Amino acid sequence: MPTPPRPIDSTLHGVTDYTAGTLLITAFPKLAGIEGTRSAGQIRRAGAIHAAYSTITDYPLGIVKLIPYKAHLAIDAIGALSLAATPFVTGQWKKGRDQWLPHVGLCLFELASLALSDPTQKGDFHGDVDTVRRANMEDPHQKIHNGGPALATARA
Amino acid sequence: MRANVWSGRNTVQVENVPDPKVLNERDAIVKISSTAICGSDLHLYDGYIPTMKRGDILGHEFMGEVVETGRRVEKLTVGDRVVVPFPIACGNCWSCKHELYSLCENSNPNAGIAEKLFGHPTCGIFGYSHITGGYAGGQAEYARVPFADVGPFKIEDDLTDEQVLFLSDIFPTGYMGADFCDIKGGESIAVFGAGPVGQFAIASAVMLGAEQVIAIDQYDYRLAMARNKAGATDIVDFSKDADIVEQLKLLTGGRGPDAVIDAVGMEAAHGHGALHAADRVKQATRSETDRGHALRDAILACRPGGIVSIIGVYGGLMDKFPMGALMNKGLTIRTGQCHVHRYIKPLYERVRNGDIDPSFVVTHRLGLDLAPDAYETFKHKQDECVKVVLKP
Repeated sequence: MPTPPRPIDSTLHGVTDYTAGTLLITAFPKLAGIEGTRSAGQIRRAGAIHAAYSTITDYPLGIVKLIPYKAHLAIDAIGALSLAATPFVTGQWKKGRDQWLPHVGLCLFELASLALSDPTQKGDFHGDVDTVRRANMEDPHQKIHNGGPALATARA
Repeated sequence: MRANVWSGRNTVQVENVPDPKVLNERDAIVKISSTAICGSDLHLYDGYIPTMKRGDILGHEFMGEVVETGRRVEKLTVGDRVVVPFPIACGNCWSCKHELYSLCENSNPNAGIAEKLFGHPTCGIFGYSHITGGYAGGQAEYARVPFADVGPFKIEDDLTDEQVLFLSDIFPTGYMGADFCDIKGGESIAVFGAGPVGQFAIASAVMLGAEQVIAIDQYDYRLAMARNKAGATDIVDFSKDADIVEQLKLLTGGRGPDAVIDAVGMEAAHGHGALHAADRVKQATRSETDRGHALRDAILACRPGGIVSIIGVYGGLMDKFPMGALMNKGLTIRTGQCHVHRYIKPLYERVRNGDIDPSFVVTHRLGLDLAPDAYETFKHKQDECVKVVLKP
């Protein structure tokens, strides 16, 4: 079965985590026109929490390797959905579109990122190396490391 | 017959398909004795080349025995052992007459598709999507070879298949990459990518008289092959230090190599930082077709006034191309799909004379039925895999 592309490996996901987290804490509320509102505080807290648990995730950009990467992805999903739900739980959505649209937009962005992220940290390898090794009529290690050069000029 | 067919992204299957037939009186049918998986096959495998259809037979590096010829085939007879160049050339058009065989104007029945993408059509190629004509490839038991008097090259001695098979593509391709560098003796040449084509580019640069040939890669076993077998004088392992440009300056007295060869192509893996991250995401979402890290670094590394030789395959569009570096440093770019027919005879003579044994790149020899696992092993660099030869 053909597999859909999941090109975001754990390193790239980490880059996204820190970039998004930093942006949410700093420039995003102003860019979204919600500076000074309840929404701004909610989004800043979400960004800070996201960056914080990224630092304790067991992936290449984690500082302390504590939370398994798959658990991190699960927290991402739960956090995204929670952020989207917040304006509707608190009732602030009634105050205007800018009080719920940024939350929902960020949730969709996070879910798209998760859909493109490879949770296995092994890429998409699905071959049978053992069968290949058994059937191989060459010895790769011997071929590479032993014997002389392939060029006569180098042999001379 | 059994053939390895494309079945979707990251999927190939060996299936029973109809045997090829002579369709044109200038065709020949070749019973394939050996075929190989090329690095550029991985661009098809990974789904980056459009117009592939399920059931398309892959493979453009193959050789074997002529078992049938069309009425107007004059230079081949049944029983001839031949290596088949991957570009299909008519031998008669303006391009072929000027030895630009991979630009043949007559061999691509889907010229309109190529013309939309590239501005002009280019040649037909075995097993390389409908952009290049939709020809069935050679990872199969038999193949139909058009223009049989022009392409197939007769092997008339007892060299093994592995010694001559690569005359179909990667040896001439690597050689053309080195030939583009205008080596006169004493130059410093950097080769990006120590895969099979890179290995032959390295060996060819050595054969042509370069004094320093630097192999660049991230896999230690490929760098070992470049040094032990292909004749590289220096290696750069960018898994240890990603600043390739600086390392090349250090190796060349601060000037940079006289010429650089890009033997990597559109799926460059060595990028780092935000630009690489952006490239990966854009390519995955098909808003950019080609990842250009190797080419960007090659352009930045090349000394002013030098030559950038591009033999890695690219398909479409690349962002963040360092046009300023290219122009202001006065670099010359030389590139193209290899004009195999131009090089095959002199390179065959070199093999016969013992100047080089091309079989050095073969790390895996497997039956055709293992093609799916072979593709995965090759793609993911498992088991020190450099080059896979399949036996139908």
